[in-house]
Amino acid sequence: MPLRGSRSSHRYRQTAHRLSSSRRRFLQLSTAALAGTALTNCARNLSTGGTSEQASGSDADTLHVYTWSAYVDDDLVQRFEEETGIEVIFDIYDSNETMLARLQAGGGSQYSVIYPSDYMVEIMMELDLLTPLESDRLPSTSDLFDQWQSPAYDPGNEFSYPYAWGTTGLIYNEAELGDVEDWDFLWDNQSDLSRQMTLLNDVREVMGMSLKSLGYSNNSTDPDEIEEAYEKLVELRSDINSFTTDGWRDQIVVGDLLIAHAYSVDAIDIIGENPDLQYVVPSSGATVWTDGVVIPSTAPNVEAAYAWLNYILEPETAAPILSRLQFATPNKLAFDKMPEALKSDVTLFPPDDVLANCEELGDIGDAADLYDRYWTQLTS
Amino acid sequence: MTTQLPLSPPPESADEGRGDRPPGWLSKLLGPLLLLAPAGVWLLLLLVVPTVMILELSLIPGFRPGTGTVSPYGLGNFLTIFQPLYLRVIARSILFAVLCTLFCLLLGFPVAYWIAILSPRRWRNLLLVSFVLPLWTSSLLRSYAWITILRPSGVLNGVLGLVGAPRVDILNTQLSVMIGLVYNFLPYMVLILYASLEKLDLRLLEAAADLGATPREGFVKVTVPQTLPGIAAGCLLVFITSLGDFVVPELLGGASSMTMARLIYNQFLGATRNWGFGSALSMILILAVSVSIALLLKYGDRDVEKTV
Repeated sequence: MPLRGSRSSHRYRQTAHRLSSSRRRFLQLSTAALAGTALTNCARNLSTGGTSEQASGSDADTLHVYTWSAYVDDDLVQRFEEETGIEVIFDIYDSNETMLARLQAGGGSQYSVIYPSDYMVEIMMELDLLTPLESDRLPSTSDLFDQWQSPAYDPGNEFSYPYAWGTTGLIYNEAELGDVEDWDFLWDNQSDLSRQMTLLNDVREVMGMSLKSLGYSNNSTDPDEIEEAYEKLVELRSDINSFTTDGWRDQIVVGDLLIAHAYSVDAIDIIGENPDLQYVVPSSGATVWTDGVVIPSTAPNVEAAYAWLNYILEPETAAPILSRLQFATPNKLAFDKMPEALKSDVTLFPPDDVLANCEELGDIGDAADLYDRYWTQLTS
Repeated sequence: MTTQLPLSPPPESADEGRGDRPPGWLSKLLGPLLLLAPAGVWLLLLLVVPTVMILELSLIPGFRPGTGTVSPYGLGNFLTIFQPLYLRVIARSILFAVLCTLFCLLLGFPVAYWIAILSPRRWRNLLLVSFVLPLWTSSLLRSYAWITILRPSGVLNGVLGLVGAPRVDILNTQLSVMIGLVYNFLPYMVLILYASLEKLDLRLLEAAADLGATPREGFVKVTVPQTLPGIAAGCLLVFITSLGDFVVPELLGGASSMTMARLIYNQFLGATRNWGFGSALSMILILAVSVSIALLLKYGDRDVEKTV
């Protein structure tokens, strides 16, 4: 029985094949035609960063915001909606690259406000994805700390307004390890930390950390320096448990891991769960990152976007939100309104001499290919 | 191959009379077109067009979206793949997929055999459902569950500690990737093997026994050949899905378990944004999958016919 079944299905396939041969030719032709248009458009659209599609379904009473999950806050939205009558709809991304890819694929035309990080602001500026901000419609940038008066990624804050910032350092079990001061702790205690350390799953952060530990810039485009940083990581590789951006959290709380390369926001969040844990910004310097707010060039509701920006940047609003979410603020007025305990928290606001060694990750152009090559080698 | 089978009349002969009965041929033409349209449009828009677009991107060396420049077509991206570094990643992916398929078959066949043939008939559906139940949760969740089980202070070491066995540290190793993959894809294998074993003609096994075959001979010469299409289909499905799986290696893999899926992800959403190279890698993946499907369709069927 089963044998006959299999043969008859074979026969059916051949019948179907004959029946469809002429239609298939039609399909092939129309496919070719369609694919032809796709071909001519796809690469060209992508190459110009084209978000050519028109916004649909957006009206004056709706504001689409594309942001990190950490910045979404129900109270914040509720008050805004009550004050302005504008409905806010959030979409979440988990990496700058995901956000950019969506915009470039033409799927971002409904957004009027986006929260890219520093280097991504730079990339989006180069790709003409942003609208210049009208400074007279926003809080004065003179309220910002000096570092953010005219940041390297966006001189003069022309296209972005700094919203929150943080660092990338090490979270470690102080009860087990004692004090950790610098990146070299990982190499010096490599055998004791074997399979109990994780690094971020991010090529720029990991290479940048190695570059910093060698005294170079984490934006180095010098092939020799990059190779040296890679070689240094290779020494460490056999003792690294994994490259993970989130996976270390539970494991470091229960003690499976002793030290993890982490973003300050995540680290501060976790320290509350286990008082043995401590976060440090390594003394030879680390990444300092800033999330800005921008208005994309395709924004369908610019009025609402400015209303939202003014609302969230207002120190009265920003201070409690950032305190609750444990982000550092680049705004002097908001900083003054934060609780004393947070203001003096060196994990949130590192001392000036450490901060002086820190650098933002900038766009490295074609050197990105070299980074990625070493990254693939390192993780293969 | 096409002529010896008694086919229903081909459309050409049916179309000959169309001059006489216009409504007839029209409905004959429109009917199937209407029926095929949803699937056709689906295939065209969501399979053919995207694949062609990826093919195009793969032929532009070092294509980065937004740079404003499109280099002329070339095979640069594909040549890059042939560097030992990337070949090693591809080889590892294929090895993972092959091993996963093998383990799924070895673990899945006895289970499917037991459910389909040995278990009491009234329990069969329940057993099958309970085996497939894990598929109702997302694979992401299942991978996280394995983290809880495998981590040094996890469930596994708790149990090992209770029985006095030495602790193991297998989270974030190649082994944990393999465990996660096999766990994820075993239900598919069991489902397909079950469907195949359920149709097994037990009278043939009785006949074999009557003619002096030992149970082992009966299994090898009757059961296995009859279920070969099912085995082939199950292996194919598991191989393809595990070859392209991203979640398991990403969550359970260690510091050095880069696979093709992760590499492709890095090209599109990592720092390089080299969509050209990523597309070329995707094309290689699509090619590998297509070739394995083609091989199995061709030789899978022939084997069955030969053993008959």
